[in-house]
Amino acid sequence: MRKPAVRKPRGAKEVPSAPRENALKITGLVKRFGEKTAVAGIDLEIAAGSFFGIVGPNGAGKTTTLSMVTGLLKPDFGSVQVHGVDVWSDPVAAKRKMGVLPDRLRLFDRLTGGQLLYYSGILRGLDGATVKARTRDLAGAFGLDESLDRLVTDYSAGMTKKLALAAAMIHSPRLLVLDEPFESVDPVSAANVIEILQRYVAAGGTVVLSSHTMNLIERVCDSVAIVVNGAILDSGTMASVRGSKTLEERFVELAGGRKSAEGMEWLHTFSG
Amino acid sequence: MVLGLIYGVGTGIIVIAGLFALRFVDAELARNTEVVFGAIIVVVYTALPLFLGIDDTLDPRRFALFGMPNSKLASSLAIASIISIPAVIIAAIALSLIVTWSRDGISVTLAVVSAVLITATCLLSARVATSIAAFFLATRRARDLTGILGVVALVCLTPVIAALASVDWREDGLTVLAGVERVVSWTPLGAAWAIPADSANGDFAGAFAKLGIAILWIGVLWLAWRGLVALMLITPERQPQAKRYAGLGWFDRLPRTPTWAIAARSLTYWGRDSRYGTSLVVIPLIPIVMIIALNIAGVPLQQLALLPVPIICLFLSWAVHNDVSFDNTAVWLHLSASTSGIADRWGRVIPVLLVGIPVLGFGSVISVWVQGDWDLLAPLIGVSGSILFSGLGLSSVMSAAFPYPTARPGDSPFSQPAPGASPAGMIQAFSFGAILVFSAPAIYFAYLGITSDSAWYFQSLLTGLAVGIGVLIIGTFVGAAVYNRRASDLLAFSMRN
Repeated sequence: MRKPAVRKPRGAKEVPSAPRENALKITGLVKRFGEKTAVAGIDLEIAAGSFFGIVGPNGAGKTTTLSMVTGLLKPDFGSVQVHGVDVWSDPVAAKRKMGVLPDRLRLFDRLTGGQLLYYSGILRGLDGATVKARTRDLAGAFGLDESLDRLVTDYSAGMTKKLALAAAMIHSPRLLVLDEPFESVDPVSAANVIEILQRYVAAGGTVVLSSHTMNLIERVCDSVAIVVNGAILDSGTMASVRGSKTLEERFVELAGGRKSAEGMEWLHTFSG
Repeated sequence: MVLGLIYGVGTGIIVIAGLFALRFVDAELARNTEVVFGAIIVVVYTALPLFLGIDDTLDPRRFALFGMPNSKLASSLAIASIISIPAVIIAAIALSLIVTWSRDGISVTLAVVSAVLITATCLLSARVATSIAAFFLATRRARDLTGILGVVALVCLTPVIAALASVDWREDGLTVLAGVERVVSWTPLGAAWAIPADSANGDFAGAFAKLGIAILWIGVLWLAWRGLVALMLITPERQPQAKRYAGLGWFDRLPRTPTWAIAARSLTYWGRDSRYGTSLVVIPLIPIVMIIALNIAGVPLQQLALLPVPIICLFLSWAVHNDVSFDNTAVWLHLSASTSGIADRWGRVIPVLLVGIPVLGFGSVISVWVQGDWDLLAPLIGVSGSILFSGLGLSSVMSAAFPYPTARPGDSPFSQPAPGASPAGMIQAFSFGAILVFSAPAIYFAYLGITSDSAWYFQSLLTGLAVGIGVLIIGTFVGAAVYNRRASDLLAFSMRN
């Protein structure tokens, strides 16, 4: 089901809202790696002001899809439009509107945290003073104050994620595309990050994040798409997708592959 | 790894040939030579792992969770180390000892015994050294430091060998050698080598004494290995204190535009990444080695003073011909910020220019001052400038158009990517050749100036700088166009390595 997510402003009366602009419009996206089809035709429309989650098992094609959306990987077929601008025919304008946190890609880890944030900001065209001010704010918000003068290679996995998220936001984009942003992040930091993202969305920004932890997505996102084997099985508002079950139950029902834990009796006879 | 293999096998073959030749020399000289060089081989087997920090497949800690008894693990790992190229090389060398001492029955028998002892000593020493390196020198900084020291030592080895080769051995060399042998053959390093040597010279008491020493030393190494395995299995990885770098470093000192930000990042990496650091250390050493070698071969030192500047310019500009693949997947940041190709190309070129132009200017002046002929200043600057600038222009195109896999960030600078169909050698050779081709006009005019009329010197300067700067500007434009077109391909390529 592909309906733009409708958000009710808090405390206001029910008013019929005009159709909102699409922050992200994906049409017929396909990617093959040799014999294997990683993404088999994905169509999605995400309205501005949504907190959109993309969930799926490992290997479902979430990372590949998001790489194509953010202009890092060239699709075989299909198009991606960010606020009306095509990513692959007008990359400069489209990428200016996006902030990216990719998964499994390195950072320039011989720089200190402060240097990396500065580098990201200057590459995005900000001026020096703005970058420094925003670095201070981001470091305070993410709890990285003490770590900005250490090399990124000495960071823990969670701190690296937080730093990369800060670098993705530094140029205040309209759309944030985050691939597994909470992996290895401790619950307190995750709660801080979620609050920041929620205020960003309330102000009109759009967040698209991918994960395979359902509880978090269910709590935080207002719309969701379930991706399995490179295709979308269901998408829409959180309520419409999960129906009367939890998101995890609905996902397991759609994805299949659930085996009963029979056999393996030898595991219960201990040899040591 | 292939290079190391060729080097090791080549050296092994030279040693074996030497040992064969010693068969026909008188026993005294054969003993002295064989023991001293044998001891050097043992030192190499012990010291090389300490410096090169080889990734250890037989690291005891990898077997920590299997619950094997320590002594069984220690012996299994020691025996497993026989299945390696260095083991084959040392076994071949040890076996050729049998040929060297095939002078009488007793010597041959003792040579067989000695061959076994030598192989065991070298392999155990290498094992212990590798594990010590993996255990104590495991922090990133220690690895970087020992790696650089190792490279410096290796590069400086050549002039040392050349200097040794030039000593007049016929006169006092033999007495020196005999003296050294007397001492070394009683140490564990040389004892195993000396066993058949002493018996061939009639000194049976000495031979058996050294047999005892050799066996005792293997016992000591074995106990050390057992103890090291036991220690490594229960000791957690060392967590070094992270160093703090206040401020933004180069990012603050340079203008705040994308091009200069990339330059600042490049400069920071030249200073902090050990893969760049080894290049930086080796580049000044290469001309020194060449000068010493050529001087020994007879070229006067004064003329050789002209050599360093062009050589340094050549290697500096060639060093960035594969710069994009050094970043590995981190280039996504440039891609997602739509960095223009021009900014990226010039950003990578600027650090080399910042180092290269002062070298070009001051270096040329100093070289010509030492050499004495001030007329040569113009062609020297012309040739070196041509090399530097055209090299950079070429590298700008090559790093975008023909990247090839290289050591990943965080890996040892000596680690090579998995051997595949990577045209690394061809690309390296091609870029070297192309740089020299672009500099050919300047070199030709300089040659004309030397042989005929010194008016050609000025031509060399003009042509050199014009061609060089022209190639640099065209190269960065072409490189930028290639980069813009191939940006996502470059990212996909880096993800495959």
